[in-house]
Amino acid sequence: MKIPRFIRTLSAPALLFAIVGLWTGPRAVAGTVKGTVHLPDVARATRLNQGYWRLENGNVPVRPSSGRSGTVVVLDGISGIHAPPPKTVTVEIAGLDAQPRVVVVGPGSVVEFKNIGKITHELSTPADSSMMPIERLNPGTFRHQKFGAPGGYLVRCSEYPHLTISVIVVDSPYYALVDDRGGFQMPSGVPDGKATLKVWSMGRWVHEEPIDTTGKQDLTVRVEAARNAKEPDAKDVDSKESDSSNSEAKDPETKGSTE
Amino acid sequence: MFLSKIWFILVAVAAGVALSIALTAPRPMAQKLEELEGQRLDRAQYAAEQLLKVDAHKWIDRVAKLGRDAILSEALDSASHGAGEIGVQHKTVQSRIRSLLPDLSTAGIATIAAIDGNGRVVGRVGEDEKEYGENIGGAEVIADALRGYLSDDVWGAGGHLVRVAGAPVLSKNRDRIVGALIIGAETGPQFAERLKRNLDMDVALLLRGKVVASTLDPAALGVLPGLVAQHKAEIADVKRTPAIPLDIGADTYLAVAAAFPGQASQQQGYYVLIGKKPAKADLTSLLVNTSARDLKWDTFPWISLVASILAAIAIGLLLQRLEVEAPIARMRRELRTLARGEATKMNDARYGGGFGGIARDINAAIEHHAMATSFSGAIAAGTSSAAVHGDAPVAGSAFATGGLFTAPSLSPFAAPPAAVAFSPPPAPAFAPPPPAAFVPPAFPTASRPPPKTPSIPPAPASIFGLAPSEEPEPIDEDHHVQEVYLQFLAAKQQCGESAAGLTLERFRQRLEENRSALMTKHVCRTVRFSVYVKDGKASLRATPVK
Repeated sequence: MKIPRFIRTLSAPALLFAIVGLWTGPRAVAGTVKGTVHLPDVARATRLNQGYWRLENGNVPVRPSSGRSGTVVVLDGISGIHAPPPKTVTVEIAGLDAQPRVVVVGPGSVVEFKNIGKITHELSTPADSSMMPIERLNPGTFRHQKFGAPGGYLVRCSEYPHLTISVIVVDSPYYALVDDRGGFQMPSGVPDGKATLKVWSMGRWVHEEPIDTTGKQDLTVRVEAARNAKEPDAKDVDSKESDSSNSEAKDPETKGSTE
Repeated sequence: MFLSKIWFILVAVAAGVALSIALTAPRPMAQKLEELEGQRLDRAQYAAEQLLKVDAHKWIDRVAKLGRDAILSEALDSASHGAGEIGVQHKTVQSRIRSLLPDLSTAGIATIAAIDGNGRVVGRVGEDEKEYGENIGGAEVIADALRGYLSDDVWGAGGHLVRVAGAPVLSKNRDRIVGALIIGAETGPQFAERLKRNLDMDVALLLRGKVVASTLDPAALGVLPGLVAQHKAEIADVKRTPAIPLDIGADTYLAVAAAFPGQASQQQGYYVLIGKKPAKADLTSLLVNTSARDLKWDTFPWISLVASILAAIAIGLLLQRLEVEAPIARMRRELRTLARGEATKMNDARYGGGFGGIARDINAAIEHHAMATSFSGAIAAGTSSAAVHGDAPVAGSAFATGGLFTAPSLSPFAAPPAAVAFSPPPAPAFAPPPPAAFVPPAFPTASRPPPKTPSIPPAPASIFGLAPSEEPEPIDEDHHVQEVYLQFLAAKQQCGESAAGLTLERFRQRLEENRSALMTKHVCRTVRFSVYVKDGKASLRATPVK
């Protein structure tokens, strides 16, 4: 049977397009993954260290607090994706507060802790003091710390333990900060398939569950009080490389200007 | 002495039991005391916790009351809005606080700070009172106060513990929060002393592995932070440690540690209650700690103890008297009777045990002595002692017993007859004649007077082959045995050997056994025995008679 010429003429480019399309074409995309994180009352208390009493004043209503600031949702275990590139992030410590209190970066990133207040701090990672040992951070000085391996790191001031900075090193670009209402929305383009959803809050991994991103667009994540809580410890990172060699404290008055 | 021995054993066992009880009984008592002291510490820790809680509420009330001051409210409201000069506001707030609380140290206040709605320090009195303008709104107790909460916390900054209470400062119209006030209460030596007064035990305050205040010498508490750190998990679990033994110098204490609430709990901030451990429970310590009061008549069972000891001694002495002293006295009386010649032997049936044996030995000795003296007296006239001292068998008496009969006492009789060396005589055998001069004594003859010539009775000449007879004569074996027996006893006495236990019957029995063996071996009519002295010992020689 003789194939018409126009068909032969068109079939070659069509086949070429088909092959190229199969080879390089975009994978199936689940679209936007979003949801809501329900934290337990303890987490919403916004206070890590309670005293004996916490009473309402009786005259004016207590201002609401989301209690979710510092909560991050990470999608882990997705194959075929690339980790965010390393970068340098600055955390400014003013008085008894730090901004931002949660930093999500790619492996190999450097966090610069900068003391812009008048109070001396002593920062370290208590769960793994060898990684980031205690060092005085005098007013006006800064300290660089490289975070190599993916995992969660809690940097704490030993003088004022309420002052904590969560550094989450991810090897996935799909993470999101939880807003005041508990909502989160992952960046678009989450591939279809299985993944692990992890929730970081109150300075530790508080929840972890396997999910299927195929077709799921709205998730409800309920974090149970303390049961799934996991303190960040050496096990989070010991299987992976962590680099503390870049840790340093610099005094601009003696070593020059800050970067 | 059977009962005496039993009594001695019973007393020893009772003493051992008493000693064991004395050594072991204090231990459970000490454990109980330690347990009670631990419970006291537990109750004290609970009381301390309640005291801290009440104290925290008191500070909250105080700072809340202070926050209702209109001048402070106005100054903070103005600072929150950024109106006015902060330096002026600082002075206003400072002077107002001073006027409200003129003597901070008496009130136990370390610092007071007024914070505007943005978390900025507007004024401060006490520690760092010249510092202002710093934003400390990130501190949890201040953030809570700015949200509208009254709360407390414990801080451990700068090597000091501070109990903090915070309260919001409301606007004049009491419709909004314009700032916050915090009070830092002294949590050092004064606080430790106050806890000690209330709880009646020593107190130490720890922060980040160091003793920051103590009612004891802090230098002596160097090991305390390490000990408490070992119980970190228990503190996290049950909020306090068990009673931990703590050695301070020569004294031993028990310590219970609990964590402070708030931030200090993240900084190894602990308060430790220290009570002295009960005295050691070993016997020496108990005796050392015994006081005169413990030994009074109404507290110590002197009567029972002394009565028991006296009863034990009395029973022991009674048994001693019955079983030892009384038989000895009776025996002495009987021996004196013997010595006076009023009795011939002891009545050994009256004595039991060892004393009965002694009495029987004495009787045997008397018997032997009597026999020996009567025999010696009888043969002394017609014999020559020199014949006994021949140290070797004479010619013709070729049967030598060797060592068989040469051993002292009864030992020769233990040797088997086969051990007798035999060599046939070179001359025709001849039987020795019976001793002509020997008259066997009446047996026993204890009442006879002792002989005046105690020489060893000589052996008959025929024994040495000096007078062989041509024809065999009938032999009186029983007479021969008695004769040899007496000669043997005499020889033993001469040599100074003991003849205790060597009775005629036993001697006869052994001689008969030897005779039978030799007769069988040498096919002879009979065997004659003679006595001689060899190497200073009485010995017997056997001569077969064909």
